[in-house]
Amino acid sequence: MTHPGSRTRPALILLAALAALALAALASVASGSHPTSVQEVFSVLNGTADPNTAAVVESRYPRTALGVLAGLCLAVAGTLMQGVTRNPLADPGLLGITSGASAAIVTSMAFLGASGHWSTVVWALPGALAAGLVVYVIGSAGAGAGVARLVLAGAVVSAVLMAYVQAVTLGNPKVFDSYRYWVVGALGGRDFPVLWSVLPLAAVGLALALLLAPGLNTLALGEESASALGANPAVVRAGGLLAAVLLSTAATAAVGPVAFVGLAVPHIVRALAGVDMRAQVLLSAVVGPALLLLADVVGRIVLRPQELMVGVVTAFIGAPALLLAVRRMRDGS
Amino acid sequence: MRRAQETQGAQGVRRARRAPRGYLAAGPIAIPLARAGVVAGLAVLVLLLAAAVATLSMGRLGVPVPDLLHALTHGPSEGKQAFVLERLRGPRLAVAVGTGAALGLSGALFQTVTRNPLGSPDVIGLSAGAGAGAAVAALLLPGTLPPWAGALAGAALAMALVYFSTGTGFRNPGRLIVAGIGVYAIATAIIQYVVYAVERDRAAALTAYVNGSLSARSWEHAATVWATLLAVVPLVLLLSRRLAVTELGDELAAGLGADPRRARSAAVVLSIVLSAGAVAVAGPISFIALTAPQIAKRLTRLPGPHLTLATLVGALLLVLADLAAQQAPLPGSLPVGVYTLALGGLYLGYLLIREWRKGSL
Repeated sequence: MTHPGSRTRPALILLAALAALALAALASVASGSHPTSVQEVFSVLNGTADPNTAAVVESRYPRTALGVLAGLCLAVAGTLMQGVTRNPLADPGLLGITSGASAAIVTSMAFLGASGHWSTVVWALPGALAAGLVVYVIGSAGAGAGVARLVLAGAVVSAVLMAYVQAVTLGNPKVFDSYRYWVVGALGGRDFPVLWSVLPLAAVGLALALLLAPGLNTLALGEESASALGANPAVVRAGGLLAAVLLSTAATAAVGPVAFVGLAVPHIVRALAGVDMRAQVLLSAVVGPALLLLADVVGRIVLRPQELMVGVVTAFIGAPALLLAVRRMRDGS
Repeated sequence: MRRAQETQGAQGVRRARRAPRGYLAAGPIAIPLARAGVVAGLAVLVLLLAAAVATLSMGRLGVPVPDLLHALTHGPSEGKQAFVLERLRGPRLAVAVGTGAALGLSGALFQTVTRNPLGSPDVIGLSAGAGAGAAVAALLLPGTLPPWAGALAGAALAMALVYFSTGTGFRNPGRLIVAGIGVYAIATAIIQYVVYAVERDRAAALTAYVNGSLSARSWEHAATVWATLLAVVPLVLLLSRRLAVTELGDELAAGLGADPRRARSAAVVLSIVLSAGAVAVAGPISFIALTAPQIAKRLTRLPGPHLTLATLVGALLLVLADLAAQQAPLPGSLPVGVYTLALGGLYLGYLLIREWRKGSL
């Protein structure tokens, strides 16, 4: 860490990532069923555009803002989970957290007459927490917990929860209708109030993540060294997972389940920023939004005038990457 | 532990060479006939019969048991009974038994070959692929391409994707699971997109099909799945001896003159054909193929592939699940696949915890 280059390099990478995010945000605001040029977008930002163009561009602000928020939450959550569990496949979707949130939200809609985005957040959180806890307990039970085991535990818990969700939604046409629009994972058709409703959760999660990053660094040195350095491994680990659940709940409640952002971004970030968790968390908070916005732009372009939802796009980008990574898995892990 | 395995291996070699004790063997056919296995098989058969009678006789439209006997021997006596037996519940029961048997045998073959208790076609994405295929067929070619054809294509594509992306075929459990999750993710994204894109009634019907359903099945459906069974079971029998030998390990099997790789590929192909036949008539019903062989294994505690018993257990599980689907006092009727998903998931969770406690997985 005393080497002068090692201090400037992360800063440069962060700057480059911020530039990429700015470009992605620009593309997100400019693209859509009525495409606008970059000049037009700038004229809107200056306040010199004609009212029609301004209205079109401004109508895209909530979508872009939601993309930034959801991307940030998912990426930081994934980084925390992979850092805490030391499992390169840890991801909010694979570990059952999103299914837990889905099951709780569907329950509230079907049996308790809940509606609106505030109740979505309020119900999603306990569901996500409970599911995450069960997966973690099953997946790390016994000796020699492998990488595949935690994922498998997540798949099992998700399967049971999804059976419940299917049972409830198929028996209740109204719930089915709102559920199918939520579960596909889309940034469009949502407004700023949705953003405000999940913002507190996201803020607490991010603050916790930044607070715990140094502790996670010492944890990487091993249990004993961590204790010797004054960090309580159990507290750091539980806090890290709690922050991850808060962040992924915020993202899921806002835009629905979006796969693979939480899985892929930590890998990109580790390759760029190395092992320091502080740098990883900061960088993933920038790379995640950039990636999600780009995926959303792609979804708006490929099927024009129709749209492909961002959750579908990320699955189509992320799953092949996962399949390619399978070949490099060590045998027996 | 090791010594026990060695003695087991030695016994296996003896079995494989001569017409072995405890096996009914003729040429390439070897059916295990250990007492525990026969007792368990008969017990499952009796339970299956009871579940079948319950399926036909329970509920508002059910035919009472005495009438049922009479109807089966002399033909149905009145219109309502004839309707229930010949149109409503009879074909549905026949489809349930056939599909469950096909799935149970499919799972047993697959698990024997991969030597992996989780290596069932549906865990590695076959069901999800079939669902996605059916969904795409419904979206792009409504009315022209039947959902089952789409399901077959989707299942085949998903299996090919998993096979080629692992780089080691179906051998390595860890890779298999992760590749299956990748394929599952793509398939789910496709299903969700289609369910989002079509109007509500079609979306609900599609969701029911994608979960696996046995409602409104006809004798043609029953004929399809039973024909698949009739075609595949003799081939499985011809393969059974070589499979029993493969269980001993590749080197031993090769030493005995059986080519383990060819036997294995043949078994995987047969397993996928059986699953595909089941998917074609009932949609992707989850977890029967996974749990039936595991239950069969625990019923007898004998070594070796439990092909016969797993077939029977598969049929029993699906008939029971469908009985629940028909008679459960729930608003709206749920597709049977939702029940198997929930029960199979719970059983799998239990299994995982138990195996992991023992550190054997």
